[in-house]
Amino acid sequence: MNQTPNMQARQTSRLSRLVNIGVPYFWLGLFFLLPFVIVLQISLSEPALAQPPYRLLWEWVEEGLLQIQINLQNFMLIWEDDIYLYAFLNSLWVALVCTLICLLLGYPMAYAIATARERHRIPLLMLIILPFWTSFLIRVYAWIGILNTNGLLNHFLLWLGVIDTPLQILHTQTAVYIGVVYSYLPFMILPLYANLTRLDPTLLEAAADLGCRPLRAFMRVTLPLSMPGIVAGSMLVFIPVVGEFVIPDLLGSPGSLMVGKLMWTEFFSNKDWPLASALAIVLLGLLVIPFVLMQRLQQNLDEGRT
Amino acid sequence: MAVPADRRLLEPWQDPKAAPYVRIERVTKQFGDVYAVDDVSLNIFKGEFFSLLGSSGCGKSTLLRLLAGLEYPTTGRIFIDGVDVTQVPPYSRPVNMMFQSYALFPHMSVEQNIEFGLKQERLPRRERAERIAEMLDLLKIAPLRKRRPDQISGGQRQRVALARSLAKHPKLLLLDEPLGALDKRLRENTQFELVNLQERLGITFVTVTHDQEEAMTMSTRIAVMEAGQIMQVDTPTAIYEFPTCRFVAEFIGSVNLFEGKVMASEGNEILVEAGAGFTIRMRSYQPHPLGTPVTVAIRPEKMRLCAQYDPEAVNQIEGVVEDIAYLGDVSIYRIRIDEGRLVEMTLTNIQPRTEQALTWEQKVAIEWSPTSGVVLTE
Repeated sequence: MNQTPNMQARQTSRLSRLVNIGVPYFWLGLFFLLPFVIVLQISLSEPALAQPPYRLLWEWVEEGLLQIQINLQNFMLIWEDDIYLYAFLNSLWVALVCTLICLLLGYPMAYAIATARERHRIPLLMLIILPFWTSFLIRVYAWIGILNTNGLLNHFLLWLGVIDTPLQILHTQTAVYIGVVYSYLPFMILPLYANLTRLDPTLLEAAADLGCRPLRAFMRVTLPLSMPGIVAGSMLVFIPVVGEFVIPDLLGSPGSLMVGKLMWTEFFSNKDWPLASALAIVLLGLLVIPFVLMQRLQQNLDEGRT
Repeated sequence: MAVPADRRLLEPWQDPKAAPYVRIERVTKQFGDVYAVDDVSLNIFKGEFFSLLGSSGCGKSTLLRLLAGLEYPTTGRIFIDGVDVTQVPPYSRPVNMMFQSYALFPHMSVEQNIEFGLKQERLPRRERAERIAEMLDLLKIAPLRKRRPDQISGGQRQRVALARSLAKHPKLLLLDEPLGALDKRLRENTQFELVNLQERLGITFVTVTHDQEEAMTMSTRIAVMEAGQIMQVDTPTAIYEFPTCRFVAEFIGSVNLFEGKVMASEGNEILVEAGAGFTIRMRSYQPHPLGTPVTVAIRPEKMRLCAQYDPEAVNQIEGVVEDIAYLGDVSIYRIRIDEGRLVEMTLTNIQPRTEQALTWEQKVAIEWSPTSGVVLTE
């Protein structure tokens, strides 16, 4: 008799654990794994003049006999044609440069907000978040108006007398950098801010007490302790920027190819869904593999320390 | 704790020619409108174990932070070893501090934490290794050297924090509630260890505590603080036996206070009228004019039971036992002497509990000697 309520409690706790773990797995399965499998499947198929424009991998040839045809042509093409390699390298390079600029700009800003007086912090954070209330597309279009040859920036610089002829900024790589850094800076600042506000200020007092000047205390205490924030912010900027399409398309030069734009072209202009999917799979691999390796390395370091 | 005879003689604050190691000169620290430290002057001598005692918010921690250089005084000056350090930043002071939260660097091992201060001094590697070994040995934490702060217990963290602050061989060590985060058992052991360590190393310790027992056990002298001011600076014995004001008398231990007026003065004794027909005779160390309002303070353990009430006798009073608190070694009795007044008396339980000296509602007479209390005017 005494056991019954106990067992019931155990059963409900098992049920609630199942739900707790189950819901995120279900979510991931439905919105990540399933689309991934679909894209992977398309990438291994052949293009066709049909709706949707590819041939299914499997086919019932006879009664009860299933034929599966895997087409690796798309991946071969990506490997053989230089244009894709160039686009990948260019995308990674742009993402890397933008991540570094965001870090260099974002760290001092996050630090300043985290160390500001308590009542100033929320308004300052609001200023960081505020641009999100306007459509992303509109903000990128606004940069066209600013960076144009007869745009705001050139007018201003001419008026100042710094230059005599307007600068060609729009449709160059520089414009892409400006647009990307502007758009993604909040994604760097927010995780850094979250990390830096948690930093115990007495640690810096302890460092000062032990003979550390402020700059060294920053290098030896603040910086290493904010590493998780730096990694999180960099991931949040780097990963989406590699596949970024809108900003290079609107602000960049037509000559500089990025993977996102290439994918768009394959998907919508060339109607080559399999090739576009293959590009997406390769891109995913390029992003996930270093990430997993890095986590392994971190784990090994942690274990080595204990 | 037993104090060796030669140490009892070693009381530099008694010597007018001795130069203080730390001199705090009329220091005030304001935060907005609040005076955290209010016009404090204090001398601390070499080799002392000095305690700042007070309830939370009395300014004791701020005073310690002023010594560390983590705060700068609004007015006043601070000298350490004769040098004016009032505006010297913390990283240039010959002082180390042990923080209340320990403030160990979470991303460094025990060893790296201890080494941190030594690296700032740019000591060569060999010397650093020697110092680390010395500290690990001194605080018996060698097995923990490779662990990180989140992998050791609270008591062990306390030792690491102490090791880190001692590693630079400071002349002055500041300790902010050093035992605050430890449980009672560990605290008592650590108190003795801390005192032994201090005597062995000959470092001047200044510690902040809100625990009067801790301050009494460890200190050479105690400064009792309240509302940013120092109420009394003295040895633990003097603070307990001869408080100079009501605040200190009530803050340290328990005390019976009788308010009254000076009626007569005979030699070095005075008579205080403390209610109708209740006269107290007290030894007085300073003259009191007739009619002065005074407070007589007598500790509960200085009260005695008398066999029979004698209305004519001095310092004797009759009452009824109202409350008994049995603490094992002693019992506390609260005796009602009239409508508004209760007197507290402690008696040692010499006999087992079954033969309790007093019971509830029992009529008793208590007395005390003229030398067992103090007369307070503040």
